[in-house]
Amino acid sequence: MTLRKAAQALRERRLSSVELTKAALERIDRLNPALNAFLTVLPERALHRAAQADRELAAGKDRGPLQGIPIALKDLFDMRGVHTTAGSLIYQDYIPDRDSAVVEKLEAAGAVILGKLNLHELAYGITSANPHYGAVHNPWNLERIPGGSSGGSGAAVAAEMVFAAMGSDTGGSIRAPAALCGTVGLKPTYGRVSRFGAIPLAFSLDHMGPLAGDVRDTAIVLNTIAGFDPRDSGSARHPVMDYVPEEGCSIRGLRIGFPEMFFFERLDPDVDAAVRGGIARATSLGAEVVPVRLPDMAAVNAVGLVIQLAEATAVMERYLEQRELFGADVLELLDQGRLLPAVDYINAQRLRRGMQNEFHRVWQSVDCLITPATPIPAPRIGETMIRVAGSEENVRAAVTRLMRSWNVLGLPAISIPCGLSATSLPLGLQIVGPPFEESLVLRVAAALEDAGVAIPRCSSRYPNSRRYDRAGAHAAIGK
Amino acid sequence: MNDWTALAQARGLKIDNRELDRIAGLLRSLEQVFRPLVRDLPHGLDPAITFRANPEDAE
Repeated sequence: MTLRKAAQALRERRLSSVELTKAALERIDRLNPALNAFLTVLPERALHRAAQADRELAAGKDRGPLQGIPIALKDLFDMRGVHTTAGSLIYQDYIPDRDSAVVEKLEAAGAVILGKLNLHELAYGITSANPHYGAVHNPWNLERIPGGSSGGSGAAVAAEMVFAAMGSDTGGSIRAPAALCGTVGLKPTYGRVSRFGAIPLAFSLDHMGPLAGDVRDTAIVLNTIAGFDPRDSGSARHPVMDYVPEEGCSIRGLRIGFPEMFFFERLDPDVDAAVRGGIARATSLGAEVVPVRLPDMAAVNAVGLVIQLAEATAVMERYLEQRELFGADVLELLDQGRLLPAVDYINAQRLRRGMQNEFHRVWQSVDCLITPATPIPAPRIGETMIRVAGSEENVRAAVTRLMRSWNVLGLPAISIPCGLSATSLPLGLQIVGPPFEESLVLRVAAALEDAGVAIPRCSSRYPNSRRYDRAGAHAAIGK
Repeated sequence: MNDWTALAQARGLKIDNRELDRIAGLLRSLEQVFRPLVRDLPHGLDPAITFRANPEDAE
């Protein structure tokens, strides 16, 4: 069931929020031992909120489509009185005395927050194989990673434990789990959604955004969380709008950029075929697909990496003498950040400004871009190197290769499912737009989705979830 | 190119040699792409992070 259908059923009294919430909690009880998507479940709080939503709707107080809808948050969003770990030992006892901006807005809209979701340690990686809280498993294949760092968010949405989840994205951390778990994931423009109360990874690259089962459900969450917040120094005053694409929305006449160079090199053949299929579908819908040559994207990625290494270490440096607090992969990145000279960081931010100026010109020739989200389907848990189109590549580098640049440029980017690999794993298609053009990106995504660029729901493959139950012991090993 | 190993030692970072070699290798790879970009930076280009004397002027 989509979020929209659930919202409609609540208003027609065919369902209550308490019933929806109980069903979601039962599903979490049943599936979480295998998936390890949730770190904290809040049944009493959720049922209290659900009952409140039911009372309000019965009294005619309608807060909008999220009212009474079960959702969850990546465990780096502050929530008053609730453990917020960021997947790290550093924050294992941290209980915030305030709500993050995202929590404020979601709760004001009446959403029922079921709990906090597992993630890659400190959101600094893409496997979500958390050394302290256990690996998150991909609902499509429990031996595979869900992507990361918002791996719990991707897994929980794909397994239909929740209707939507919040994630954060510094180099692909919303779009990677969306692509690898077969959900929709949106990284909005930098400044569109407040970072206030979200534990930072890299200040100038961090973006907050939703994952959901389809494009319009994702847009509904964006409607709730978007907007200026003076508590976030990067927050934008750019006006918000209704982001939900209308039914039957058209992309006729739209100029869609096809950046073959860089984005269609070194791809798994299944990814290549699925994304080209999505582009062909856009053409059949009347869009004009235009080959486009972009600035040097490998350079943009390198600049992003320098910025990320320096900023993340700036946050964590005071803990780095306690090396036992960190997993090996995160420590390796933090140590690199300690060695980078300040001059390199400043120059990276100068280069970023130049690249931003250069990229403005791209939007004069096209309205948006379509690329693959990840060049590969989900790797196996524990795999650090992977073979892509005949050459060996580090898994982290491969998964972020086609996404990191959009964080550097701060542009809105969405991943939608566009097919399944030969091994029955989801594949993601990425749509990127000019700054603050979330509505355009969502419209293109919805038009493609309406035209059949989609995959079956994961849960429809395992309706009785026996596969999860059998794998429970395997999942426990990862804890 | 920077001598990352010497830099780490000069800073007194407590990283074992095998780990240091690995980190130095990763930084060398990054530097190969990054350093040539810096050579072409125009003088007048400000960094993308800008301090505002009045925080309320934030975009």
